[in-house]
Amino acid sequence: MITVTIDGREIQTEPGKTILEVARANGIYIPTLCFLEDLLPIGACRLCIVEVDGYDQPQPSCVQVVTDGMNIRTTTEKLLEMRRDILKLLLLDHPLDCPICDKAAECKLQDLVYELGYDRAIAEGSVGVPMLHKPPVKWSTIGINYFPSRCVACQRCVHVCLERVGCGVLEAGKEDGTPRIFPAHPEKCIACGECLSVCPVGALTEAVSPLKARPWEKTKTKTVCPYCGVGCVIELNVASGQVIKVTTDEAVPPNYGTLCVKGRFGFEFINSDKRLTKPLIRQGGSFREVSWDEALNYVAKKLKEIKEKHGASAIAGLCSARCTNEDNYVFQKFMRAVIGTNNVDHCARL
Amino acid sequence: MTIEGNEIRREMILNMGPQHPATHGVLRLLLHLEGEVVKKNIPIIGYLHRGVEKLGEHRTYLQNIVFTDRLDYTASMCNNLSYALAVEKLCGIEVPERARVIRVIMAELQRIAAHLLWLGTYALDIGAMSVFFYCFREREKILDMFEMISGQRLTPSYICIGGVRRDITDQFLEALRVFCDTFNDYVRDYENLLTKNPIWVERLKDVAVLSAEDAINWGTTGPVLRASGVKFDFRRATPYCGYENYEFDIPIGTKGDCYDRYLVRVEEMRQSNRILKQAMKDIPDGPIMADVPFITLPPKDQVMNNIESLIKHFKIAAGLFQVPKGEVYSSIENPKGELGFYIVSDGSSKPYRMRIKSSCFVNLSALPFMTQGCLVADLIAALGSIDIVLGEVDR
Ligand code: SF4
Ligand code: SF4
Ligand code: FES
Repeated sequence: MITVTIDGREIQTEPGKTILEVARANGIYIPTLCFLEDLLPIGACRLCIVEVDGYDQPQPSCVQVVTDGMNIRTTTEKLLEMRRDILKLLLLDHPLDCPICDKAAECKLQDLVYELGYDRAIAEGSVGVPMLHKPPVKWSTIGINYFPSRCVACQRCVHVCLERVGCGVLEAGKEDGTPRIFPAHPEKCIACGECLSVCPVGALTEAVSPLKARPWEKTKTKTVCPYCGVGCVIELNVASGQVIKVTTDEAVPPNYGTLCVKGRFGFEFINSDKRLTKPLIRQGGSFREVSWDEALNYVAKKLKEIKEKHGASAIAGLCSARCTNEDNYVFQKFMRAVIGTNNVDHCARL
Repeated sequence: MTIEGNEIRREMILNMGPQHPATHGVLRLLLHLEGEVVKKNIPIIGYLHRGVEKLGEHRTYLQNIVFTDRLDYTASMCNNLSYALAVEKLCGIEVPERARVIRVIMAELQRIAAHLLWLGTYALDIGAMSVFFYCFREREKILDMFEMISGQRLTPSYICIGGVRRDITDQFLEALRVFCDTFNDYVRDYENLLTKNPIWVERLKDVAVLSAEDAINWGTTGPVLRASGVKFDFRRATPYCGYENYEFDIPIGTKGDCYDRYLVRVEEMRQSNRILKQAMKDIPDGPIMADVPFITLPPKDQVMNNIESLIKHFKIAAGLFQVPKGEVYSSIENPKGELGFYIVSDGSSKPYRMRIKSSCFVNLSALPFMTQGCLVADLIAALGSIDIVLGEVDR
């Protein structure tokens, strides 16, 4: 156990932790932009700077490890001024996109402006030429749009791709002197959308199903992903009765905030007009819409006929991985106990 | 016809309104008549209830402005002002000097417009047709001025939290100057038509008398209170927007009848013009909006050119901001009396509770009292004289 002092508060902690970790664990707030809890510190944004006795320069708290007797200050006038300056540099070449940006209202950059610009202007008046909207450029998958002009070069996407996904598709670089991200190895991309989910601003947005509602118009419902057996926790973002986006919860197992391409992007089928919602019976070459009673009677009659004529093993049942376990259980029970066949299968290969 | 004891009483129950030209909106008066005599008079309100107070709890402080326009829609500017002052009190916002003077100009113009509307329609109620045309002619000029600066004639939403929405123009100032120079002559014209007109005097004098004591006990405010001889005006009693710097008289009546109410309002128009002339003389330079990030909207040209302002604008418009916790009450002198806003804030971007104190509602409650035993024809004169707008009574 070592003792550190943060903002005059003496705190006992284990050695080897970063200042940010200790501060957060003790309810002391330090603003961050690039920091992600389960990754190694990125140290790109420098918004998390704190003053530490014995150092001339403020230190990034997400990188700096605590040592015994350290005296740390998290909010001094100088630090606030420096943080504002950092933010100002980010704002200087940021496009005027909020009204058309998918991220607006959930955007970390907006939040930082709110937080640090509450009592004074950050960059007002100092902006010369307004930055206008620029179209997105190619990313490593067609599912994602990349707007380099909105990018704050926090490198979260690069690191998450490398550390969490293990693909290493992205590389940070520069174009005309401005930092931006390059999908350097698109062949390795598995289109999982992890980069999209960690981007704190609207630089990465969904291309297949662009945003349809602002955060205050939608509700989030937690549920389990219906695709594979891992059973990731997902949140369905619902607006006007339609699922418009899938997100997840960082704090909950088994997936702790990650998702795969199917779980994240595969939700549009729910509202597809190609889905069958009413029973149909084929007559001649076309389908006729019928009531449930008629359809069930028809099926029962035909199944009975087949069973009498050719035996139960002439019948096979094919159900779906998209049904619930309960539905599938009842289905196989029906096939075995009522029809009397073991010919049961389903498409567990979605 | 009812029988009480041995007496046969010929009492008739009559609905006046809600669709009746002289109830000025959707007011219903349930009259118990004996012949021409009003025995009992029960105002039944609520036909224009839109739940503005409840709606206020579900709209941000910024959005609520447009509802205030629609309270007493003949005095939208003043309603905006009362609401803005309440929110500014809650958030501790200092409004720039220029905006304060512009606000006074707007409020006084609006007072004149509201009184003109009243005078024109009231004369119509009593049967004097031509006054209506003259009054609306001048009112039109004021509405044109409102349109010039806000794009709206009736519901400008021009005065907003922290200041006013747009700066006034030279064109506006010129129109204002012409108006101020000529308006007193017009008031003289109205008075020539009415003040000594025997029919007018006959119909109004000694009708619906409210003594000073009763006026206070019923809680009336505005011209109704002052006509009863009580010298009380919020602009003097609790000055706001710098009213303490302007010279003006508070006209009062002697008797508290309809005729006094008429005289008080006519004189108030002259006094408003007097205030306008003083305010117009030196409008200080400077900003028209207080700069309180995330509560007052940044200027539009900044929003279009600067990402920080754009973010601020977005956050405010989307309701993603916080105001201090607390509760405030603030009220001002509207054309019809006291309009107050009581706001309880839980710190979020929407009021926890918003209560509107309406002078029209209170003044209307005094109507049954002052019309007890009067004639039906006088009832029209009495109702018109208290000058209500159902948009504010019902809210
Ligand atoms: S990334 Fe954030 S600040 Fe930039 S345009 Fe989008 S919402 Fe606005
Ligand atoms: S794309 Fe997003 S996550 Fe990646 S560096 Fe830019 S802002 Fe950060
Ligand atoms: S959060 Fe520490 S440098 Fe970005």
